[in-house]
Amino acid sequence: MSATGLSVSVLAYVPPSVLFRRRAAIIAGVVAFVSAAGIYLNFKPWMLFTDFHHLVRLADEMIPPNVALLWRKTALYQSVAETVAMAFLGTLVGGVVAFGLAFVAAKNTTPHPWLRSVARLGFGVERATPNFVVLLILFIAFGFGPYAAMIALAIGSVGMFGKLFADAIEQIDPGPCEAVASVGANPLQVIRYAVIPQVLPSVVANGFYAFDVNMRAAIALGVYGGGGIGFELQLAMKVLRYPDVLALILLVIVLITGMERVSDLIRRSLLRSDILK
Amino acid sequence: MNFPTTGSPRSAGPLLPLRLRKPLLVLIVLGGLVVVSARLCKVDLAEFVPGLAKGVEVLRFFFPPDWSSLQEMVGPALVTVLLAAVATPLGVLLSFFFGLAGARNLSPGWLRSTARTLIGVERALPEIIVLLLLVAALGVGPFPGVLALAIGSVGMLGKLFADAIEELDAKVLESVGSVGATHSQIIRFAVLPEVMPALLSHSIFRFEVNLRASVLLGAVGAGGIGFELQKAMALLEYERAMMAVLVTLLLVFGAERISDYLRRRVLDGGKLA
Repeated sequence: MSATGLSVSVLAYVPPSVLFRRRAAIIAGVVAFVSAAGIYLNFKPWMLFTDFHHLVRLADEMIPPNVALLWRKTALYQSVAETVAMAFLGTLVGGVVAFGLAFVAAKNTTPHPWLRSVARLGFGVERATPNFVVLLILFIAFGFGPYAAMIALAIGSVGMFGKLFADAIEQIDPGPCEAVASVGANPLQVIRYAVIPQVLPSVVANGFYAFDVNMRAAIALGVYGGGGIGFELQLAMKVLRYPDVLALILLVIVLITGMERVSDLIRRSLLRSDILK
Repeated sequence: MNFPTTGSPRSAGPLLPLRLRKPLLVLIVLGGLVVVSARLCKVDLAEFVPGLAKGVEVLRFFFPPDWSSLQEMVGPALVTVLLAAVATPLGVLLSFFFGLAGARNLSPGWLRSTARTLIGVERALPEIIVLLLLVAALGVGPFPGVLALAIGSVGMLGKLFADAIEELDAKVLESVGSVGATHSQIIRFAVLPEVMPALLSHSIFRFEVNLRASVLLGAVGAGGIGFELQKAMALLEYERAMMAVLVTLLLVFGAERISDYLRRRVLDGGKLA
């Protein structure tokens, strides 16, 4: 009796599999860490329920949106145009500078390995610096307004694109370069006739992607004082005109999705046509 | 006999070689846009060089960094990291539900289009606006900060998750469904294992993004290193601000390295540990 009972009870206990235990440990670890971090931060998730009425009140104040503002206040067109112009110029200037620097930062075109490291480090530092820090410094140099914000966007684009472009240059097929060099081309001619044709499509595609990123950044920088629609939004918020705020938010959503569509359209037709070849 | 001159091969050639026409058109349009937007941005080229000189002059105030303030920066830096660390899993969880709701192969049409619209709207809103709204409603502090970052994750992660789920092989879902699995069992045993690597790698990347955003949010009142930075700039303590910038650089660089390493591991082996 005892023998059979024992064997049954031994069989009945199946230890959890290694995989299960590992997963359980990872999940428990993440949960414990997040809870500890939440306690340290004094983060109270139940505030979502206890303070929910504040959110409802805000929504109540914002609705209905003062949509009439969008056609009554003609200065808004100027702001919208300013934001788009900031993003466009910032992307273009930053892209051109980054394109030049990318040849320094790419392993196969750099004039000197040291220069390459310097350029790569510069891109890295730029990407890690929050762009509002750059903007605050530029405000001192150029005064408040879209000019400083545009330069901040251009500097930001150099960090973002420099790395992407340099990576693209490093990944090209060396065959055409050797072929062009073998007929006596100097390094600049190799770049012109073998490197640029290979990277141009990816450069253009990335340029349009950056424009989308910079549109959002232009609005964010506007909030800090860079002008444009972001500044209008921040102004409306400061004087607590919430119906105006919601109208402006709707405008921002339409603007960003619209510009995304437009840039997508142009990018596709450019990449399809033979202009880049 | 007099042929019209247009008939002769030389003068018949267009003013410009055909292959140059389209690029020239692109350049003209681009040039026009540049002029218009430069006017809108109040670009002043004459001011550029003196402005740059002034900028360099300003930069000199930032050096040397105030090393003695390093000790006071450790706490805020930790707050910034933890803000992102708490917000990312919450955002991932939220985005996962949005991803399920936004996938064509799992949810009915009305739910899918609602979810996709919400995701699109969130994606169009810069983080700072979400935060300003939450600050307006809930006041400053870690709660609005975490909430803003978590909501901010939905725009990017929700879309990526939904796309990853839609790319699943229909046979996998069918075979699990054909042995009688319920909707939630299909998600648990077919969807989750398949999308896990993509889910993890996107989430790790999002942590990096959230860390940057958390610095930014700090400057508007969520606390942390961004707040220190903004305070030091407002008080004109530039050397102290430089210290905060250096700490920020360290955090962002570190996060980038760790996230690169973890993502490579996830994509290579399909698991973290």
